[in-house]
Amino acid sequence: MTTASDREEKVLRYRVGQRVVHATLAISFLMLLFTGLMILWPPMAGLAAGGTSGIIHRVGAILFMAVPILYLIVDRRGAKELLVESFTYDKDDLAWFKHMGQYFLGHAVGMPPQGRLNAGQKLHHAGVVITSATVVISGILMWYAKGSLGAGGLAMAATIHDLSMLALTVLLVGHLYFTFVYKALSSMTTGYVSKEDAEIEHPKWIEEMGQPQVTGD
Amino acid sequence: MATNAFLLDISRCIGCQACTAACKTGNELPAGTQFIQLIEQTRGTFPNLEGGFQNHRCYHCTDAACVSVCPTGALFKEGGMTRLNRDVCSGCQYCTDACPFDVPQMVDGRCSKCDACADVVAAGGTPWCVRTCPSDALRFGDRQEILAEAQSRVAAIKERYPKARVYGETEAGGLGVIMVLPDDPEVLDLPANPQVPLLVNTWQKVVQPATMGLTGLSILVTGVAAVIARRNHMQELKLLHKEEAKADESK
Ligand code: HEM
Ligand code: HEM
Ligand code: SF4
Ligand code: SF4
Ligand code: SF4
Repeated sequence: MTTASDREEKVLRYRVGQRVVHATLAISFLMLLFTGLMILWPPMAGLAAGGTSGIIHRVGAILFMAVPILYLIVDRRGAKELLVESFTYDKDDLAWFKHMGQYFLGHAVGMPPQGRLNAGQKLHHAGVVITSATVVISGILMWYAKGSLGAGGLAMAATIHDLSMLALTVLLVGHLYFTFVYKALSSMTTGYVSKEDAEIEHPKWIEEMGQPQVTGD
Repeated sequence: MATNAFLLDISRCIGCQACTAACKTGNELPAGTQFIQLIEQTRGTFPNLEGGFQNHRCYHCTDAACVSVCPTGALFKEGGMTRLNRDVCSGCQYCTDACPFDVPQMVDGRCSKCDACADVVAAGGTPWCVRTCPSDALRFGDRQEILAEAQSRVAAIKERYPKARVYGETEAGGLGVIMVLPDDPEVLDLPANPQVPLLVNTWQKVVQPATMGLTGLSILVTGVAAVIARRNHMQELKLLHKEEAKADESK
């Protein structure tokens, strides 16, 4: 049970290093997405003429690829937690997936109790890790071997690149959706969320942190 | 617009460079740029060796791989020719990889290849290279007439070149440059069966539109759902707060 005072009380969710890393990721991704779409989408194709977008795409790609390294440098613990937790699912996570529709429609109260990351976040983060790898590999292939890939090789690399970007973009749409529905933006700006929100959505995390839940009665 | 074609009679090309020079001057190509490459070749088997030239240029394929991969519309088909509008080329180099004949080159970060002297032809003229050829190896005109000419030329040289054949009637959907070959295509460094890999077409025609469509769909669905879900979440919080207030009062 949450209390009125929990609404004012804040808990730290992401340290400053993590927030900087996430901002780098978000900015580089948006750079890549828009310059990538200029090549892909006829209404935007005119903007690609001259090749400037290709250069911006490569600058974005370098930033994007630097993110994992940056994360390891500024916050090793955070990076490790993100990787390990995103690929570890317990019973409550599986139960959470069963009620995903309810969570999608805005009902967090009554969902199976979740840890620091809920099962959906884990799935999102794991998806980002995997499809980032395929987008980077196919991207590097096009970067260095374009002009000598042959028609089949080029189409293969571009197809993998396109499908990875599709996956990443749909993941992002969902990511922004839940950020908006559960007004979670503050955890990536100030780093803090209200204790009440955390208790509703991540009760096992609050418990773990050794901050005993305040009981109502 | 009528479907035009070039006739390129390899058996008659003497490698004089008149076409390359005329193309360069007529199209005011910058230094280092060339739309035609004359490649010296040795053909036949010893002791019947013969020198010759491959007049390498854009063959204006009907099913042009370069056009199917070009994302900006810089390459396009018109009147049987494969046209290039350099102004909208993004320099992505997809065409370089896709062309089965290795034609498009990159000059100053943009595609560079024969544009079939489109301005000259539109004004009722003949392409520069055709106009200057002293050996009647080049012609330009209605595709059906060009094809008939090529067939009769092959028939005429069959005795001297038993392997002589027409190339470009059906290859890559039919070329816009119909060639008279004195020998097998492979001997002349031409692919026997130039093909566009299936994936090239699925990539541009299926994967790209599907990517855009599904992205749009996901934005649409979440856009609508967001309004509903946000309201639901606010309501459940309100309910929770009410319960708290009640619990506090009853203390
Ligand atoms: C989130 C990441 C990325 C997104 C959303 C993205 C998106 C795109 C898209 C949509 C295209 C056009 C593909 C087509 O024509 O079918 C493209 C092309 C390309 N991408 Fe990416 N990309 C990403 C990351 C990368 C990375 C990490 C690299 C390199 C290491 C890279 C290198 C390239 C290259 C070389 C091209 C070819 C076009 C050009 O030369 O400008 N991309 N990208
Ligand atoms: C562009 C706007 C974006 C916004 C507003 C946004 C918002 C957020 C928020 C609020 C969180 C924290 C969620 C929580 O409380 O646990 C978060 C985490 C995260 N986001 Fe984003 N995000 C954006 C873009 C992206 C993109 C483009 C990617 C990946 C391609 C991404 C990947 C992640 C990952 C991996 C985490 C977990 C971070 C960690 O554990 O260190 N985000 N995002
Ligand atoms: S048709 Fe015109 S542009 Fe093409 S090779 Fe001949 S002269 Fe050059
Ligand atoms: S020869 Fe190459 S550049 Fe010319 S139309 Fe065919 S695919 Fe395009
Ligand atoms: S390099 Fe230019 S002409 Fe070639 S495919 Fe890309 S945009 Fe089209």
